Amino acid sequence: MSEPELATPFRARAGEALHDGFLQQALTIATTKFIDLRREAFGEFPEGEALRDRARAIKEATLQRLDHYLEQLVDNVERLGGTVHFATTPEDARRIILDIAERTGARMAVKSKSMATEEIHLNDALEAAGVTPVETDLGEYIIQLAHERPSHIIAPAIHKTKGQVADLFSRELGRPDVPADPEVLTAIARAELREKFLQADMGITGANFAVADTGTVVLVTNEGNGRMVTTLPRVHVAVMGVEKVVPSMTDLAVFLAILAKSATGQKLSVYTTLVRGPRKPTELEGPDEFHLVLLDNGRIDQIGGTLREALSCLRCGACLNVCPVYRSIGGHAYGYTYPGPIGILLTAMLNGPGSVKDLAHASSLCGACADACPVRIDIPRMLIELRKEVDEKRIAPWTERMVFRAFAWLLGRPALFRLTAPIARLMQRPFARGGRITRLPLFFGEWTRTRDLPPVAARTFSERWDDLAREGRR
Amino acid sequence: MARTRAALMITCLGDMLYPEVGVAIVRLLRKLDVDVEFPKGQTCCGLPLFNSGYHTEARAVAGRLVELFAEAPYVVVPSGSCAWMVKHELPGLLKDTPLAERAQALAAKTYELSQFLVRVLGKRRFTSRVHGRVTYHDSCHLLRGLHESASPREILRNLEGVELVELPGHDECCGFGGSFSVRLPEVSSAILEKKLVNVEATGAACVVACDAGCLMQMSGGLTRRSSPVRAMHLAELIEGAS
Amino acid sequence: MSSRAEFLTRIRGQLAKTPALFTAAPSLRPARPREVADTIRRELAERWQESLTRFQREFERVGGVLHHVADVQDVPAVVGRLARERGASSVVAWHPSALGFDPTPGLAAEQLTVHGMPDVLPDAERRRALRETIATTPLGLTGVDAALAETGTMILRSGPGRPRSTSLLPATHVAVFDRHALVESLAQVGVLLEAWHTEEAPGAVINFITGPSRTADIELTLTRGVHGPKEVHAIFVERPIGE
Repeated sequence: MSEPELATPFRARAGEALHDGFLQQALTIATTKFIDLRREAFGEFPEGEALRDRARAIKEATLQRLDHYLEQLVDNVERLGGTVHFATTPEDARRIILDIAERTGARMAVKSKSMATEEIHLNDALEAAGVTPVETDLGEYIIQLAHERPSHIIAPAIHKTKGQVADLFSRELGRPDVPADPEVLTAIARAELREKFLQADMGITGANFAVADTGTVVLVTNEGNGRMVTTLPRVHVAVMGVEKVVPSMTDLAVFLAILAKSATGQKLSVYTTLVRGPRKPTELEGPDEFHLVLLDNGRIDQIGGTLREALSCLRCGACLNVCPVYRSIGGHAYGYTYPGPIGILLTAMLNGPGSVKDLAHASSLCGACADACPVRIDIPRMLIELRKEVDEKRIAPWTERMVFRAFAWLLGRPALFRLTAPIARLMQRPFARGGRITRLPLFFGEWTRTRDLPPVAARTFSERWDDLAREGRR
Repeated sequence: MARTRAALMITCLGDMLYPEVGVAIVRLLRKLDVDVEFPKGQTCCGLPLFNSGYHTEARAVAGRLVELFAEAPYVVVPSGSCAWMVKHELPGLLKDTPLAERAQALAAKTYELSQFLVRVLGKRRFTSRVHGRVTYHDSCHLLRGLHESASPREILRNLEGVELVELPGHDECCGFGGSFSVRLPEVSSAILEKKLVNVEATGAACVVACDAGCLMQMSGGLTRRSSPVRAMHLAELIEGAS
Repeated sequence: MSSRAEFLTRIRGQLAKTPALFTAAPSLRPARPREVADTIRRELAERWQESLTRFQREFERVGGVLHHVADVQDVPAVVGRLARERGASSVVAWHPSALGFDPTPGLAAEQLTVHGMPDVLPDAERRRALRETIATTPLGLTGVDAALAETGTMILRSGPGRPRSTSLLPATHVAVFDRHALVESLAQVGVLLEAWHTEEAPGAVINFITGPSRTADIELTLTRGVHGPKEVHAIFVERPIGE
């Protein structure tokens, strides 16, 4: 997201999203569909719960020996003729990839969907260096043509109508009168992009997993672009967060069993591609060079940090689909690469606690995300930790901190706490009408603008207790 | 046989805004041969402080709570979120303090009302104060924190004269979320709107919940739109043992 | 730019100061995966009807079409019919050593031009020409290294004579397999993968293919044939190939 958009406060961005009628409709339909599909998939999969526990354990076990598994992965990739690069910052990663492009004379790069490459803002850097990046995942292709960022981790163009896509194709591809028919739109994308696949010099992907034991990078896709991008161009670059490594193929099978089910309700995505380095010398096809760019960008610091659990994320998007906040405001309102519940944690990981001073509170802590997460990440707990950090680092406004401290102080003084009832009863008199409060001044107006409030009772429970106690003794 | 003794943790919202719920609980428990105590000096469980990240302050509040309720063999709470705070977060907050053991003990003996009635007292059949169609909203902390969705439904299903209809999206948040409701009131209200549309679609005269926060949010929206549907606490429906 | 040593040092530093969240271990791996894999295959080959029924159900669920023939000699007729129905007159095919049989004579009899994939690496110019051909041929014929019943997935290994594009570029992919390819569960596939990696692989890629290429990126409407094949057909040969 560009800087001017982030200058709008989160609450205002959320408000805009709430007033976007089509977005609201699209969000409801899409998230409801994903929720139903996921429920169905796990409904007919009784082993699912045990596998989720296994998956969580594998992720934690891997983290506990991350150095060992990464070394193993690196050794294996190199043994098979690949090259491994280490990028601490997004700048490092961009530099590495641009160097590869320059050295290999790449003019056009086809990209398979990769949130990691979004995270490092790769496309702009490629353009600036004279390498044309072409997104090939249909959703990503659409938003690339529209000069937008993805609004959902797995369905990036969920916020667009087919009419909007048709107009976009007409305009940007010079094809007059494109009909708003998904079949036709898909066929157009297929034709346009096939040319690109065949001509591209470089293929850039992310990686869903990397198997340490064998040096294999795993791509989970539905469209076939992951395969195209790793078969046709002569160079393949895979960008991957360091936390994506898994120990063995046996472990991989556990994750494959739950990933697609969590994301889209499919038993498996259409293509799961296991890539082990460049093509073998005897193979007809495949890249001559394979590069794995291992990305840190704040992840390593969280191994010992409060967001450690978030390193288990499989990027399935299940938490987005069930989040009442995401379902109301969509992905763009969050303002950063990763939206939704896990997105808040990842944003803090990549950009520091200051970046989430508002986002950390973009949650009712309902816990639906933790329930849906295939690896059982306790997102609400970490959101509370982030809020704590925001308070302790004095990122929260002092007025707020004062109010909470005053409240806490009062809670420790029951006699004074009891006094708040008669005081409130007095102060609420001008506002209480027909047994409810419909309007309150100042900060309290945030509630009463849209909702009534019950008045403080004529006699609180504590004030009635003596009578109740007497009643009990009779 | 000695009567069961239980202490009532009324909660801050319960005390100030919904005392009649507390009164109903006391009278009901007495009918079930439970002696109810009310440790004076109660204020709040500290959940609002905890959720906003003020953990030092929450710890102090937690410490007081543990002392206040040390004596009673059971603690009954009308709100799922407060019961969750005591059972799940208090032990962690007081883990490295001299009160650690007592916090664990308090957590073990604390129950949300419907849990206490069904799982501790074994009572699930009651006479009802209302008749007609009702629907039930699963409060997030009760459902996901305390894994409790069965007890309230058992009670409602067995209430004579009451027809329980499942609420579409019954497990979806009402949008309260404590300070969330006033930090992001537009989003909170949008979430509430979806909940109320679902409630009205059931044709129920009343939506039942076991949490003061949810009730505040839902009734606030219902009365604002002059809806005939009422939001009521489970305790308000129960007359006595059947 | 960072180095491997820097990364590892920083990771070790973090690990040293951090307690584990809980005791955890990665999956137990089979000590002798090849033996276990062979046993799995053998057992499943014996009760192939069950597995095939399940495979068919799942395969059709994801939009695949299963054909059942008695003998490998019946394969060309199926391919010929599929070709005629689609107005196609040519097919790209894996090398006979990869397929386990030579379909060329049979396919020629069906009036189809067969572009057989070489099992020896041709020169750069020939490779370019081949790519052109493959990109414009409407049908692709491959074998199957494992057919997973749980999900209706076909697993194909790349290598000489069995290039990746045969199951990717043509609009219709036809895959031939017999009872020895059947496996039941993803867990068993895990064993298979362990087994395959104990020895030198023919190629650098293993592809799991679960039905035709698809997307729902536009208003969540499902469409097929985005970049990969629009149709996927599997031909089960009852008499094991090569018998």
